Amino acid sequence: MGASGLQDDPRREAARPSRGAAYFGDFFGMILWPVHRLIWADPQRRARKLLEFAEVEASGGRDLVRAAELTDDPVLRARYLVHARDEARHADMFRARGRALRKETASEGKEGLADWMAPGERGMEGLDLAREKDADLLAFLYLSESAAARDFARYARVIDKDPATRILFQRILHDEDEHKNYARGELGRIAPHRARRLLWWARLRRLWKAYLRFATAFAGVMAGVVLTLQYFLLLPPFAWLAKRNARREKPGWVTLGEGSER
Amino acid sequence: MKILGISGHYHDSAAALVIDGIPVAAIQEERLSRHKNDAGFPLASIEWCLDHAGLSPDDLDAVIFYEKPTLKFDRVLTGLLQGYPHSWRSYPKAMKNMLGEKLWVRGLIASQLGISTRRVRCIEHHQSHAAAAFLTAPTQEAAILTVDGVGEWATLTVGTGTKRADGSSEIRMLRELRFPHSLGLFYSAVTSYLGFAVNEGEYKVMGLASYGQPTRIDDMRRLLRPAADGAFMLDLAFFDFLGKVESGFSDRFVDVFGPPRKSWQPIDLKTDEGRRFADIAASAQALLEEVMVGIATNLRRETGMRDLCLGGGVALNGVANARILREAGFDRLFVPSAPGDAGCALGAALYADRILFGQPHKPVPDHPFWGPVPDETALLRIAREDGIPAVAADRLIEDVADALAADKIVGWIDGALEFGPRALGHRSILAAPHDTVMRDRLNRDIKYREEFRPFAPIVATEHADRFFELPRGGARLARFMSGVVPVRPEWRSRLAAITHVDGTARVQVLDREMEPRLHALLEAYGKRAGVPVLLNTSFNLAGEPIVNTVSEAYSTFRRCGIDLLVAGNVCVTKPRLARAQILENVA
Repeated sequence: MGASGLQDDPRREAARPSRGAAYFGDFFGMILWPVHRLIWADPQRRARKLLEFAEVEASGGRDLVRAAELTDDPVLRARYLVHARDEARHADMFRARGRALRKETASEGKEGLADWMAPGERGMEGLDLAREKDADLLAFLYLSESAAARDFARYARVIDKDPATRILFQRILHDEDEHKNYARGELGRIAPHRARRLLWWARLRRLWKAYLRFATAFAGVMAGVVLTLQYFLLLPPFAWLAKRNARREKPGWVTLGEGSER
Repeated sequence: MKILGISGHYHDSAAALVIDGIPVAAIQEERLSRHKNDAGFPLASIEWCLDHAGLSPDDLDAVIFYEKPTLKFDRVLTGLLQGYPHSWRSYPKAMKNMLGEKLWVRGLIASQLGISTRRVRCIEHHQSHAAAAFLTAPTQEAAILTVDGVGEWATLTVGTGTKRADGSSEIRMLRELRFPHSLGLFYSAVTSYLGFAVNEGEYKVMGLASYGQPTRIDDMRRLLRPAADGAFMLDLAFFDFLGKVESGFSDRFVDVFGPPRKSWQPIDLKTDEGRRFADIAASAQALLEEVMVGIATNLRRETGMRDLCLGGGVALNGVANARILREAGFDRLFVPSAPGDAGCALGAALYADRILFGQPHKPVPDHPFWGPVPDETALLRIAREDGIPAVAADRLIEDVADALAADKIVGWIDGALEFGPRALGHRSILAAPHDTVMRDRLNRDIKYREEFRPFAPIVATEHADRFFELPRGGARLARFMSGVVPVRPEWRSRLAAITHVDGTARVQVLDREMEPRLHALLEAYGKRAGVPVLLNTSFNLAGEPIVNTVSEAYSTFRRCGIDLLVAGNVCVTKPRLARAQILENVA
């Protein structure tokens, strides 16, 4: 897809991130730099992350297809389909590189850090597309693509020993910029007077979803700890009984009584 | 009575509505949510079923869930205790899973629908399977066999079903095998070992098996041994259903069969490694068939019944089904269009109607079309908005037959959506079945899938025997594409796109009454090509559920190599531009 031709659109200018936002973007980038470096230094983890990105891109592509199926606006339908095609292409590229890295390291690679420690693009973040209006979706897309572009730029910067992966990120980064531009341009077209408000609303929703993700992961870890303690402290006598009963059971048919109810 | 059946929370959620003994709506959640194998609570399906019938939840007499969560919890907890201390990793995950939502399903259903919990009941998983197989089948009495991974405790059940002249029905479960001894889990472990996704890739193992020889069947017999009473048992040293929940096979399995295939590793059948995987698939498939045929043969002898109703996810194994029909001694084998967990929604509703509430039996219409009907005018509108030629054709069948004869690929969406995993003529991609070029084109431009996976044919009942070696009762088995049968040798070269490497095909045999328009298309195509057989594959792209609405069919049409899209009487033709070019132009 070529440049959208909307770069000089004043509506788009109005929604460009403020200097403060840009500063915070860099600020977080600076803080997260060691984390990103740690994540991307290990080829096995790199492969895993790339394959995860492939899944996210493929899923995002499917969501865009769904958006195309649901919209009544023929221009948006075409835009979403083109975007979906790009996402599918990105998924293929990530997958191919991830698999190549796996081959090099001969690993199935299920290890790694918890996903919420490695920020990356998250597609449509489980949006209920059937209930979203086009304008809300475009605002969300714009922010999502912006975040992806920012993250991919960071990743490309920290991957200095793997030129193939770095080039991959740079190529995809170019597409993400274009997606960001079209999303902003279309948002200006269909909601010219509400674009800024919608973008702020979408930012809040993303923040809320990020909180939910963190809270769910944190609750999961806490529940895991409590249940693991319970497993080792409370279950041994019950386990002994269960094993004793299992030894007494004969394999084979279990005859059922009348009516088959237990 | 108005009874809603629900299945969900494991894989392939669904809802089905039965009113006065007859199904009026049934749909899998994935077809509405557009997430393949959607396992979530099937709220969209429930809403659609109720809307379709013009009901509100208050109008329902009962809501039936397809399994008993407390029994399932009992099995999960007991398994974890028996696996102590090796199950320590699985325990938190399993408990979060069960205690989070699954155990409280009656309350969940009641709160989601805004009804009293007294109206929500649960029946056993394999009772749902048995009911889905027997109560939908056009037979008065039959032996029943249900086989899947695991329900609550049962993994395989045998029983009988009777519909009496006084209208009463009975499903009598005679015996069951219990977890962990499971044919479904055995096959799933092999599926995982071969690098395919469990609960999704089992049919790939079946397809791959045709490329191999069962040279490892003796090794497989070490895994799955006969029990003294004629049943079978798994040697649990080869499996790990607790520690490695995702894979299911143990290190000892790997010691015997060698390194597992990694999911990203392509299967190259020209290499020793590729042939090793194919031989393992063939061996597992052969053993599965052997065990299924053995159990079915004993059931035939024991019950003396002439019909067999087969349910559960393993009933999707068309090769095993055909072998049971040929060798177990039954005259007819009935497999419903949705034998897996989705079909349990319908089974649960019918079980409640006939057995729990004692309503008189009524014959269930013998077709799988219980979903939404497409709006063909929407296709006209969308295509015209996008500047793509669309016409409401007068002689559509003839035009489509011409296109198929000219090697065009046709997306065909017509009538109510199928219930079950197969496209049976209402959401299908159709093409000429004659040469491998078409098969490769479909694989390359539409399905993006492994070359060893075959495509299925569809043929009218009156011509089926001419092209396929159907066993006695084979046409019935093939009604919902449930059996794999040999293509007659003299036709294999002319049906190369649908003939698998071992000379077989998973054929659908179509009755005119079930789908008259598609039947007419087969006839019209036959007049042109001399062979009234078409290639019929599901209308979806890789990783996506089968399309439901016209807009989903249209977006699929736009994204792949389908030449012609037909919805009802509306036909859309893809212009002679490269697909990418069309998208660029419109954008």
